[in-house]
This record gives sequence, C-alpha cells and structure tokens, in this order.
Amino acid sequence: MATWSSASRLLVIEPRYIAIGALGGVLSGLLGVGGGIVMVPLLVLWARATQRDAHAISLGAIIPISAASVLTYGVAGKVHVLAAIALAAGSIVGARIGTSALARIEERPLKLVFGLFLGAVAVAMLVQAA
Amino acid sequence: MTGVVLYAVLAAFGVVVGGASGLLGVGGGTLMVPFLTLAVGMSQHAAEATSLLVVLPTAIVASFFLRRRKVGDLALALRIGLLGTLGGVGGALLALALPGNVLRIVFACFLIIVSVRLVRDSLVAR
Repeated sequence: MATWSSASRLLVIEPRYIAIGALGGVLSGLLGVGGGIVMVPLLVLWARATQRDAHAISLGAIIPISAASVLTYGVAGKVHVLAAIALAAGSIVGARIGTSALARIEERPLKLVFGLFLGAVAVAMLVQAA
Repeated sequence: MTGVVLYAVLAAFGVVVGGASGLLGVGGGTLMVPFLTLAVGMSQHAAEATSLLVVLPTAIVASFFLRRRKVGDLALALRIGLLGTLGGVGGALLALALPGNVLRIVFACFLIIVSVRLVRDSLVAR
C-alpha cells in the first residue's frame, strides 16, 4: 500500500504500469468500457498483482481514463444524460455491495468469476454482431 | 420501454452494474453496452458514450470504499489511469470513425482471449 504522503514514489512508475495504463486507455476509448477488462488481466499476469488488488487498482485507474473519454464523447453529443443518471443512481448503491464482496472473496473463485464473466459477455456480443 | 418504466429499469440494472463493477474491478461498460443496445435500443456509439458517463461515478465510489477497506493501491492506480488518459482520448476518437459492428467484433474477440486465459489459470494454476 502506498500512501499519498510518499511523494518520492509518486514520481516513479515502472514501464509496465505505463504500458498497462496506455493499453487500458486506448481500449477504453475504442470500446466504450472503463478499461478494466484490459488492465485487470495485465495487472495479474504481468505486474503480478493479486486478483483482488488488480480489481481495486483497475477501478482507481478507470477514474481518470473514463473522465477523459466522457469529455471526448460529450463533445460529439452522443451521451444520453437521463439514462446515464438513472443507471448511475443504481450503480453507486451496487458499488458499495460489490466492493464489500471484493474485500472478502477468496483469490481463486474471484479469478474464476472474472474469467467466466468476460466469456459470457464475449459470446453475447458475437451473437449480437452476427 | 418508455418514461418512468424505462428509468426504473435502468436504475435497477444500475445496481447490478455497480455490484459487478465493485467485485470485478471493471467500470461496468461490458454489462451496460450490450444492455443499452439490445434492451433499450440505443446505437452502439450512444450506448458506449452513455455507459462511460456511468462508469466514472461508479469507479469513484468503488475506489472510495476500497480505499477505506485498504484494498489495492489508489495512488498507483491513479498514476496508471493518468498515463492511460491520452490513450483514452485517441481511442474514443477512433471509435467515432469506425462502424459499430466492427467495434462489437473486435471487442468480443478480445474478451474471449482474456476469458479463456483467466478461467484456465483459475482451474489449473498453482
């Protein structure tokens, strides 16, 4: 755990974290997701983070990445603001429940749930595109 | 779906999205984009833009709770995210220039690769 007071560490970041952030950012903007589906696997398989920490770090990294993408899309006028407000009202409640579960779940079931989640979404999207 | 019913359904679905987001460490776009296109009938580009607007507050709230529980490393996370921001702007501009169906197929293929890798690791590793 780093702290905000460790100023020297704020100036130092490993190259692989730069790559993880950049890949997450590009795919976030390209695909309309927060980039977590890119960053979580890279954090686990490449940066050797635990699955739990990878999920938490991914969520933190999504904050500036999605903020930048929102601005880009907002300029293009594609956002449905009322739908977003309704979804966000629910998701803020859900986030509390989900993070509470993340703090408690074991490593391997977490990895399995995450992998199955991605597989299910992929199948759904291929069916839709066909 | 229209009017009040639509927004009630969206809020309820938002709870599911937030729960999945907090547990899985993703913004929730992987759930919202298919839902907004298939169930609500938005275009692919509109669904992606709208989901990004939900991802932002969800990630902020989730990060707040995780920091309070001392899970992860928010300082590192924000640094990674700031580095990814330029990539995010470039990717979003690219998305506006591409047809929606190409995005779907690219997205799905990527998810399958990640899924197979993680499920294999969870069952075989160690």
